[in-house]
Amino acid sequence: MAKIPRNFRLLEELEKGEKGIGDGSCSYGLEDGDDIMMSNWNGTIIGPGHTVHENRIYSLKIHCGASYPDDPPTVHFISRVNLPFVNQANGKVELTKLNVLAKWNRESSIETVLVSIRREMAAFNNRKLPQPPEGSVF
Amino acid sequence: MALPKRIIKETERLVADPAPGISAAPHEDNLRYFDVTIEGPDGSPFQNGVFRLELFLPEEYPMAPPKVRFLTKIYHPNIDKLGRICLDILKDKWSPALQIRTVLLSIQALLSAPNPDDPLATDVAKHYKENEKDAQRVSREWTEKYASK
Repeated sequence: MAKIPRNFRLLEELEKGEKGIGDGSCSYGLEDGDDIMMSNWNGTIIGPGHTVHENRIYSLKIHCGASYPDDPPTVHFISRVNLPFVNQANGKVELTKLNVLAKWNRESSIETVLVSIRREMAAFNNRKLPQPPEGSVF
Repeated sequence: MALPKRIIKETERLVADPAPGISAAPHEDNLRYFDVTIEGPDGSPFQNGVFRLELFLPEEYPMAPPKVRFLTKIYHPNIDKLGRICLDILKDKWSPALQIRTVLLSIQALLSAPNPDDPLATDVAKHYKENEKDAQRVSREWTEKYASK
């Protein structure tokens, strides 16, 4: 298979994100529409229903480095959240503790990262974790 | 992974016999991915500029068109802030009879003949339609600022 280069891959992701993905529970877009290298992204996750996260809107920032998608992006929560794979000092999503980032491959994307984080929020061990006040930030 | 013969042939010709004002060289680690430069055509507001682009031949090429975008900032009604190009042969008017060379020549021609009636950068197109002279002045400024040789 042809190996799609970083920039064209990110353009595809941008166009997909602009159209809207799935049921709208996860979304993402470029932080700065002028950023020709498409490095910095904003993401949003709507907390899954029937969990402590229900109706909360979580903001994240995603950075795709020069070696993306060979290497995973770095992901930070802006909104404060209590999850075992989120560093409570700075909101960083710890690669090794989240399956999609630890087992990163070229087919993974910003979308798969956000969807996986949302799925983890609803996981049995995480769905009832006590959470910081809604609207607080790291 | 074997590279289709057509791509090998096209690449050889691009390197050995480049079109005037255009260069294209494949990346060593991805022979479907090209570094491209296009010189701004004489008589256009992009004259004396050298514009960097990137081009990728997807798996389906030549049944699907190449993907191309500008890496150098450019003030042009058919090229947006991310360097994406609005050109019919890169979309529904693509034909497998076209080649990398013809695509790059068409992009060069687009620099000589902006088409504000089919805009991608709507603010630039509006400027071009309302005051072409002033818009061309901005295009020249950007060329000098971002695309100097």
